[in-house]
Amino acid sequence: MALGRLALGTVGASRRVSLQRGLLFLCALVLLLLSEAVEPLGASGSPGGAGDSSGGSHGLQKGCEADVTKSKHPTNRTKKPFPVLSFDYEHVKTPFEISLWVLLASLMKLGFHLIPRLSSIVPESCLLIVVGLLVGGLIKVVGETPPVLDSQVFFLFLLPPIILDAGYFLPIRPFSENLGTILMFAVVGTLWNSFFMGGLLYGVCQIKGTDLNTVNLLACLLFGSIISAVDPVAVLAVFEEIHINELLHILVFGESLLNDAVTVVLYHLFEEYAGVGSVSILDVFLGVVCFLVVALGGVLVGAFYGILAAFTSRFTSHTRVIEPLFVFVYSYMAYLSAEVFHLSGIMALIACGAVMRPYVEANISHKSHTTIKYFLKMWSSVSETLIFIFLGVSTVAGNHSWNWTFVTVTIILCLVSRVLGVVGLTYVINKFRIVKLTTKDQFIVAYGGLRGAIAFSLGYLLDKSHFPMRDMFLTAIITVIFFTVFVQGMTIRPLVDLLAVKKKQETKRSINEEIHTQFLDHLLTGIEDICGHYGHHHWKDKLNRFNKKYVKKCLIAGERSKEPQLIAFYHKMEMKQAIELVESGGGVKLPSAVPSTVSMQNIQPKKPPSDRAIPQISKGREEEIRKILRNNLQKTRQRLRSYNRHTLVADPYEDGWNDLLFKRQKLMEIEKKMSKMSNYLTVPAAAPDSPTLSRARLASDPQAYSSKPTSDDLPTIKVDLASPQSPDSVNLVNEFQKAATQNDPDDDGGLVMKVPFADKDQGEQDNKKEQQRLMRCLSDPGPGGDEEEDEPFLP
Amino acid sequence: MIMFFSSPSDVKNNGHRRFFPYCHIILIPRGVSGHESGGITTFFARRFHHVTDHSCAIIMGSGDSTLSKIPNVEELMEETGFSPAHVVRLYERFQALDKSKKGQLSRKDFESIKELATNPIRDRIIGAFFAQGQEMVDFHTFVRILAHFRPVDKNRPKKANMQEPVNSRTSKLRFAFQLYDQDNDGKISRNELLQVLRTMLEMQVTDEQLESIADRTIQEADLDGDNAISFDEFRKSLEKVNIDHKMSIRFLR
Repeated sequence: MALGRLALGTVGASRRVSLQRGLLFLCALVLLLLSEAVEPLGASGSPGGAGDSSGGSHGLQKGCEADVTKSKHPTNRTKKPFPVLSFDYEHVKTPFEISLWVLLASLMKLGFHLIPRLSSIVPESCLLIVVGLLVGGLIKVVGETPPVLDSQVFFLFLLPPIILDAGYFLPIRPFSENLGTILMFAVVGTLWNSFFMGGLLYGVCQIKGTDLNTVNLLACLLFGSIISAVDPVAVLAVFEEIHINELLHILVFGESLLNDAVTVVLYHLFEEYAGVGSVSILDVFLGVVCFLVVALGGVLVGAFYGILAAFTSRFTSHTRVIEPLFVFVYSYMAYLSAEVFHLSGIMALIACGAVMRPYVEANISHKSHTTIKYFLKMWSSVSETLIFIFLGVSTVAGNHSWNWTFVTVTIILCLVSRVLGVVGLTYVINKFRIVKLTTKDQFIVAYGGLRGAIAFSLGYLLDKSHFPMRDMFLTAIITVIFFTVFVQGMTIRPLVDLLAVKKKQETKRSINEEIHTQFLDHLLTGIEDICGHYGHHHWKDKLNRFNKKYVKKCLIAGERSKEPQLIAFYHKMEMKQAIELVESGGGVKLPSAVPSTVSMQNIQPKKPPSDRAIPQISKGREEEIRKILRNNLQKTRQRLRSYNRHTLVADPYEDGWNDLLFKRQKLMEIEKKMSKMSNYLTVPAAAPDSPTLSRARLASDPQAYSSKPTSDDLPTIKVDLASPQSPDSVNLVNEFQKAATQNDPDDDGGLVMKVPFADKDQGEQDNKKEQQRLMRCLSDPGPGGDEEEDEPFLP
Repeated sequence: MIMFFSSPSDVKNNGHRRFFPYCHIILIPRGVSGHESGGITTFFARRFHHVTDHSCAIIMGSGDSTLSKIPNVEELMEETGFSPAHVVRLYERFQALDKSKKGQLSRKDFESIKELATNPIRDRIIGAFFAQGQEMVDFHTFVRILAHFRPVDKNRPKKANMQEPVNSRTSKLRFAFQLYDQDNDGKISRNELLQVLRTMLEMQVTDEQLESIADRTIQEADLDGDNAISFDEFRKSLEKVNIDHKMSIRFLR
């Protein structure tokens, strides 16, 4: 048994290591291009030189020190023998440095979460910027030029993962329900901000004595359009930490995503005309058309690739390993294709992710889904970390031209225009909204308008020959970014607490909610039809029908295309719970010292534990069965963890899973009835593995049970050894829920495996308890605590 | 003299007003003050006194011709909170649905709405309009039922003596609950839930699946262990859902 545990442990560990390695490689790949574009990192000129390997960075130094020792060896070559050990740092320089940067970023991230008090006060983004500043300073002290966040790298490699992550996991329902409001803020709000700021800044620049007379109106407007866009990276970083309610989150975040089109158009427009110098009415008109083309074009490109990805995933059932790749590659292609035409790449990514997700998820395996999720989260969080660190480094690196007037006016105008814009727009929007935005909401929306790296990168892209004041702009942009990220980012959490803004609720949807929501949707559609009004619900219903009738058939393979949403949801839920059970069954969630009531309450806070009589078995038999079960459980798990390079082992958690679920439930049902019967009749019930029906069902399901020698025993007796609902926990909860349990003799727990609990036979029960304890001691600890499926992912 | 803003539908009837499609002034001669137009007059007069309530400052919709046909319109509006424009609109819809022109709708009338034909819970929705044992729906009931779907407006001053408005969260939920609870015993039983599920999921699933979902649902919501979902349990299970939003139709504001 101990051996088995060991084996499991190593398998789990090596899997994790390989995942990490995969991470590094991928990011190295990304950063390979990064460093090519980035100004030469520190050690560029002298990679092999032992003495002056001062290193491009903090991390780089370490690496080079290691190299120094190595480089001594091959120097004594007199006869030029075959070099046993040679040194060629130049060869690996770029990826090596990239890896070091990524490593630094990841370690920093890791470090912050080790200091719990720090991360609860200061947002991670602030800390990362500070680290960037320190590293940049260090590089400068050493006498090298620190790298600058290159716009090309930023837009092509660092930004897409973050946006794809956001787009793929976009909560469609709240997003579409608030689309009007979001668009209003994103389009009109950003326009207002740009022009208000640009205009007033120009006015300020015209004041004598500010040394700003050279700044013309177009440059001001351009600057305004750069600085007025709310940044998705910054917003995500801060809002994920404050756990604000869904509505506010989607309003601010959605705005930050959708304002991209406006920013792109305004930026290109002003940049274009800054060279020419005059703008006609026609140009304005073309600008409006351009905006529509950029926004809609982006969405169309994204949707096109999304559908393509969905269609491709239809045929991946035989090569599950590369499934996740399609999601990434198609999305990236969507982004790049949109960028080719200067369409909004962000919109394309969002559309692509949102369009493909429902179909892809129906097609791919559960494991692939997990892979996609983790990859996206990992990628985006590394990107985000790098972006903030590089922001810090670039601040040290860049040429600054500090102008007090310009910077202060910019910050003040940013705040003022944001507040005015939000208040003004909400006034209009509230006339159309069913649920009005309160003053508090408005405040948070206004205050959450953080600026970030996109603004910096756009500013960095400016051509110095057209904009001689570029350095001043950059300085002002950085100041605004720092101001919003540090001041607003740090104070928003206390403010949210102070104002008692509604926090995010547990997002776990219950089956009740799902059913009732669908029911209400039908109801409202019906009511709209009765009123003869073609409203929101009517069109949604039409779209759903169309989706069900045609699109799903084309894009989803096999039976699942006909599967109603509710069933899919039900499966997902059951699966989640089962996995949870398996995971916690391995003792993951319960440290052995703590009684399992904790996890019991976590998982099923409200439900009274059911104690129903089960058919009694002799102790010897019971023991035997337990042993068998244990072995089977381990086998299953081992199979789950085993890894094959090209194919994923078929396991009961995938194919045939749905059948299994229902069958299991059915079995429980039968057993329930049986036990009830035995209760009433007080006849010693038949051995639990006797129901022929259950055996027949099992036999018909070879997929799930084929590898288990005594499979007949498994489903009928629910002895889940180290499950959270072990007898002690049941007992504890029982103490104060006795009344409830008595009313509730046969509360059947769906798939929840229940510990047999003979409430009559106290002696037996005690005995059992002991056994359970013993078993738990012996049971393997299982792999590290996997997170629950839909937990909000904390980077 | 009362000023009305009329809808285009009014214009069709009166050709000479075509040049003022949305706004015109009607003179109501003294002699005509019959029962109906009298009601209207006092109603509008009252409305104009409350000009502070900006939503009432402009009365949109058609004038006397439609409103005056509805008996007790004033009361109805008071009760449901609908504006005259809505009442007129709904009245026009009501008449369009009323094929037999008796001023009442039968089940057949509802069933002939062709958009409704594809709605899986059509029978329940239609059933909601008919009180126990009744065969016909008059306009007042029609409007009262639809008033459940009016968005909640917090701006409207609350009257102390009024009972709970029909579009409150609770009454919205109650309405939905009653659609499930067809036998009116205050509980959604397993069978009732199964029926709903079956209609919603149509023929795509096996009974086995349906039953396990139903069991699961009840087990999840059932707090007192009676193997059924009471209204309180129903409300509790929808605690996190924004019912004000989910059960409101924007145009009925």
